[in-house]
Amino acid sequence: MISKSEWEIVPLTIDPDSSKKLFFTDHEWETIEAAAARIIPTDHDPGAKEARVIVFIDRYLSGIDYVYAAADGSGFLRMSGRDATAARVSNEIFKAMYREGVKDLDHLAGEFGSKNFKESPAETQDRILEKLSGRPKPEPIRFDIHEVYYSRLQGNTDQDKTFFDTLCLHVRQGFYSDPVYGGNKDQIGWKVIGFPGPKSLKDTIDGTYTTDPYFVHDVSWPELLLDFKGVAVCKVSCATEGGVCCGKLEIES
Amino acid sequence: MNKSGTLDAVDVVIVGLGAGGGPAAKVLSEAGYTVIGFDKGPWLRHEEHYSGDELKFQNRSYLWPDVKLMPRTVRSDVNSKARIFNFSPVPSNVGGGTSHMAGWTPRPRPSDFIFRSLHGDLHGASLADWPYRYEHLEPYLTKVEWEYGISGLTGAEKGAGFRSKPYPSAPLPPTRFGKAFYDACKKLDINAFPLPMSHITKDNALGREAINRTSFWNQYGDPTATRSSVATTFIPDAIKTGNFEVRANSFVKEVIVDDQGVAKGVIYVDEDGIEFRQEARVVILSLGSIESARLMLLSKSRRFPDGLANDSGLVGKNATFHEYIFAVGLFDKDFTDPLYGFTGNYQSGGSMEFYETDENRGHIGGGIIATTQIGQPINMIMPGKPSWGQAAKDSDRDFFNYSMKIGFILQDMPQESNRVDLDPDVKDMWGLPVARITNKPHINDTAMSRWQINKNVEILEAAGAIRTMPVYLGDEFTGNSCHQQGSVRMGVDPRKSVLNEWGQAHSAENVFVLDGAGFPTAMGVNPTLTIMAHSWRCADYIAKVYLKGRTEKTVLEPLKNLGRK
Repeated sequence: MISKSEWEIVPLTIDPDSSKKLFFTDHEWETIEAAAARIIPTDHDPGAKEARVIVFIDRYLSGIDYVYAAADGSGFLRMSGRDATAARVSNEIFKAMYREGVKDLDHLAGEFGSKNFKESPAETQDRILEKLSGRPKPEPIRFDIHEVYYSRLQGNTDQDKTFFDTLCLHVRQGFYSDPVYGGNKDQIGWKVIGFPGPKSLKDTIDGTYTTDPYFVHDVSWPELLLDFKGVAVCKVSCATEGGVCCGKLEIES
Repeated sequence: MNKSGTLDAVDVVIVGLGAGGGPAAKVLSEAGYTVIGFDKGPWLRHEEHYSGDELKFQNRSYLWPDVKLMPRTVRSDVNSKARIFNFSPVPSNVGGGTSHMAGWTPRPRPSDFIFRSLHGDLHGASLADWPYRYEHLEPYLTKVEWEYGISGLTGAEKGAGFRSKPYPSAPLPPTRFGKAFYDACKKLDINAFPLPMSHITKDNALGREAINRTSFWNQYGDPTATRSSVATTFIPDAIKTGNFEVRANSFVKEVIVDDQGVAKGVIYVDEDGIEFRQEARVVILSLGSIESARLMLLSKSRRFPDGLANDSGLVGKNATFHEYIFAVGLFDKDFTDPLYGFTGNYQSGGSMEFYETDENRGHIGGGIIATTQIGQPINMIMPGKPSWGQAAKDSDRDFFNYSMKIGFILQDMPQESNRVDLDPDVKDMWGLPVARITNKPHINDTAMSRWQINKNVEILEAAGAIRTMPVYLGDEFTGNSCHQQGSVRMGVDPRKSVLNEWGQAHSAENVFVLDGAGFPTAMGVNPTLTIMAHSWRCADYIAKVYLKGRTEKTVLEPLKNLGRK
């Protein structure tokens, strides 16, 4: 078994403009692309279609070659051992889920009098997705209501979700993840919401990418804080190497 | 090595190389003892394996444990069937949780060590004092702050315990949402300050280079040495001595014990599935409370038929988990400056104003609040966020830079029924029973959750939020803070505890449990700094006292003027 620390970098890249399909059939590709365009629609800003979310999803579903980008974005990691086995199991589940999911979308389209999902009008597509999700289509955020929530686990994996919830999450991932994964073309998703984002993953390693300008630099701690007059320092040093501290620190202004 | 077998004995084996194992490895190897450290996961190198890849670190579990490979199960009481759930997941690799944690590292308060003396008995809870006090730990808190690298603003925390040295590194400047938090706290007369963090900044006295200002922080591995992690500090220190060896990808499945109850070493399985026996004079368990308890329960012997050192039957019991709860505030982009909730090293300002007990609040104890990142784009946190359609797109666009969150580390009360044991049905990838967690919040936990989150809402409103979303503790803990305390309790009475004040098993004297498992109460602070200082203190004892064939007791002065009502 090759340890995760030794996984090789395979020099694969993803062209977001590619129409080559590694997993989907033509029909599945067009159907999922149409669904993605309803999940993150195009308005005065680009949406899932322009971000090439479909390429992101197709590559992810194709196997385990595109699960983890190399740290510097120079390719993808060749998974091994138990991690690879687990990833293959997940991948098979997703493959089957999407194959069935496309059929379900087309079947529901039939109930709305359409030939299939992809050729339905946008309004009908929304009704189909609503029905698939089992919940009303989300309404805009309101400011006149008070709702309470309860804690849940951190992180957001795509394990153990329904097809609809998996699709929503994958579309979101394809819209906002680093462009190395094939979506978020030209950082379209980041631009829509005002996230600066690094030009490349490599820039996050060597100090090139910085969010420093977004911090507040023109205010001092004593101005900002209620009870703080200056940094307290020890001028006695009675506690060097295990001794007992007298606890007296002096404020250095 | 191609075949299994028994390996040459060493002085000390350490199982688990995270916050507990790291300092022990450093202290014991620097004292001249031969030490082997085991970790079931790989040894990832920060400069080679980490970067600001949100999808990889937050969504595709590059560091999070895969629940299919290392499952845990959870249930709310002994009559329910446990379900598989990634409860309190912590990275399984050299460095453990310190590899990716946000790294709030505030000091505990003196009151944390005498929680039962301060409050008496609480119905349904198993409050206890620690077998040592703040003053015993203080020199070690200082050592960790300086050797590991903690940034903080000395003197800004009102009500802090005494300290012998200032912080070695200045805090980061505030983020925009941090400033909004400080301003609101000032308005409400709340003492706020930059919470100490396990990273260094440009302005540090440690000679390390702090170049990571990407804001890819919580749950990300840091490609630079800006974050203080066990894998970039204590482990390299230990290796430098020539006395320490890391065995990564090596799963310890049993502690071997002879008929007298003396541990002889451990049995482990390497990455190719080959089993070895590694003998040692001292066995240190530092797998985190859940896995340390599990390994003890898995290690059944003639002397300990119910699990290692489990004469009291308390191994696994009184576990605490620190649920992370919060409130989010949304702001009107037409009337506010952007808050840039994606910036900073997760938290940007906190408060311990509500830390000490005030019975007027309707609960005892308290904890830390802090304003924390909303997150990067994929995983932006907004409770009840629309999941698709125009409303989803609008809520991302309108609030990604115009919302803020104030979190709270809930100090849950220890209860004997909140426990870790072995699941009778579910096995992990090594074929061994997994940890089953049984837990139900105490009424004090629920009351604390309500009161504090409502207070956080008040602060958000003072900051100008036009809508607030409170997130309370529900009917069960989810383990979402990844903090683990209790489960192998320390104490002075062997009938009421498993370990003494040195983390040493009462009934197996060469077994030490050096992580949060020994903590009798949860404290209100994030446990990592205390775990490291505790481990350092106990490892010092092993090196200077125990392995010299002596024993020593911690002297507890009588407590005066506690002001108990």
